Amino acid sequence: MKKVEPMSKTSAISEVSGSVWQVLVAVGDSVEEHQELMVIESMKMEIPVLAPKAGRVSEVLVQPADPVAADQIVAWIE
Amino acid sequence: MAFQNEIEELERRRARALAMGSAKRLEERKAQGILNARERVAHLSDDGSFSEWGQLAVSIRPEDEARSAGDGYVSGTASVDGRPVVVHAADFTTLGASTSAIGDKKFHHAKANAAKNGVPLVLLNECAGSRIPDIMGGQGLHRAGEHSELWRDRSSPWAAAVLGLTYGDGSFYASMSDFVVMRKGAVLAVSSEHVTSVALAEAADPREFGGWEVQTQVTGVVDRAVDTDEEAIDLIKRFLSYMPSHGQELPPRIAPGAPGGDQMRLLDLLPESPKRTYDVKRLLEVIFDAGTLFPLKERFAPVAFTGLARLAGETVGVIAINPQHKGGALDADACDKVVSFIVLCDSFNIPLITFADTPGFLVGAAGERQKMPGKIMNYLQALGAATVPKLSVIMRKSYGQAHLNMGAGYCDEMAAWFTAEVSLMGRQPAMNVLHRLKPGQTPERYAELEAELTRDTSAYALANAFMAQTVIAPYETRDWLIRMRALHTRRPSGGIGLRRLATWPTTY
Repeated sequence: MKKVEPMSKTSAISEVSGSVWQVLVAVGDSVEEHQELMVIESMKMEIPVLAPKAGRVSEVLVQPADPVAADQIVAWIE
Repeated sequence: MAFQNEIEELERRRARALAMGSAKRLEERKAQGILNARERVAHLSDDGSFSEWGQLAVSIRPEDEARSAGDGYVSGTASVDGRPVVVHAADFTTLGASTSAIGDKKFHHAKANAAKNGVPLVLLNECAGSRIPDIMGGQGLHRAGEHSELWRDRSSPWAAAVLGLTYGDGSFYASMSDFVVMRKGAVLAVSSEHVTSVALAEAADPREFGGWEVQTQVTGVVDRAVDTDEEAIDLIKRFLSYMPSHGQELPPRIAPGAPGGDQMRLLDLLPESPKRTYDVKRLLEVIFDAGTLFPLKERFAPVAFTGLARLAGETVGVIAINPQHKGGALDADACDKVVSFIVLCDSFNIPLITFADTPGFLVGAAGERQKMPGKIMNYLQALGAATVPKLSVIMRKSYGQAHLNMGAGYCDEMAAWFTAEVSLMGRQPAMNVLHRLKPGQTPERYAELEAELTRDTSAYALANAFMAQTVIAPYETRDWLIRMRALHTRRPSGGIGLRRLATWPTTY
């Protein structure tokens, strides 16, 4: 039977498709829950990607001008 | 003393019931900081107000009599903050609070008494599922349906806590409730791990698919997740403080509270650039009475904020688009969430206030696969059928069909902030759709054609045609809402609506 381990890292996803406008954090940064990690330009709006939990940014997977799809993982928080 | 033997026998039976299930399991709970059924009821109830029924009930099977105190449930009436409720609490230490013939009769008694007396029903749930062999066989199974206990008409509010492994009927009671809170670590699922693995050869762990993250974020069945039993029960009390005891009365009104902040702060919280997003909750906290905003299903479809609040002491229901998520574009989950909230408000005479800032419903293949046209219309049907007072505020964008769903033609009064922008769609997308042109391509021709389809999209376009009843500054919103609410109280019916949505399905 599969055991559930507490997940050590949590994905930050873009809720919308669009392009990365600004990346506001770097690997190693400490972030609060709901802190803005980056801004996606979509539907002529600047839509933030928020930290899913408080923690440390362990990976940033996109850079400015990259296209992103809805529900794409753009960073990991540990 | 006269009747000494009889008195001793009564006390002996009572003491047996109060001891609940196995001492070992009760000790284990205590060590984990988890309350037992009687401690939960005590935490909910005003001191000394709990009167129990079915304390001496036991299993229908004589061989289980000695180990089935209360047949797994602590049930009765109590007062909560001075108001009567019916409470039905699972005692997991007694046969896993599994569904059984006598336990079912106790639930029916609780549900029926809450309905006919017009008091809320509080369900403190855990449930191992159906008890085997009690529910086996034609009669065993059919008996479970004989009191139609899994049907309700929202005659009075139901609030449920999910406080442990909650399968079968426990999961059904919770999903039928108006408010559901879950302790982190609890599980809400139709079937246990064991049943799932036997029936489907599926090894999934219910802690994964029935845990608080899934139930608050993916399904929205659970409104709030907390760390302790006490916090869960306190949230139920808070929820009930906004609610009438039943659908034929108004929600309790308290002394008007101070606003949540200086109304001029709204000008700082609303970005001047229409491209910038913001967290609408911060604006709502300023507009409504201080500290009264009570979000429901907050982690599910967060683009639509739904929650209760107080406006000058009165309970109101708030639906607000939160552009911080998806730029305010409404998806299928958001439609479901809003519908369930309109159902709650219409069932319990809670006026609705909507705040719009949306580029419209989210288009695309994913939404279509989720029956988007049907979801949008279901939402509009709910808004149209609801007979509670409806006030609408257009904050910024209100585009396309979403403008109707945010109240156009369906609300009693509409105010547009001076930042309002209303149209079928933005000019640039419209140019692209109609002429297949993007800015920068043939600039002169573009400008000429754009001028042709340019219409006034401002707040004043609505005001000129008396489509919005007024144009206001954000800082005038609270005052406008209080004044309009003072008119829209439906005096001939005493504020009691037709409650047409009270029989809509549970869990949308």
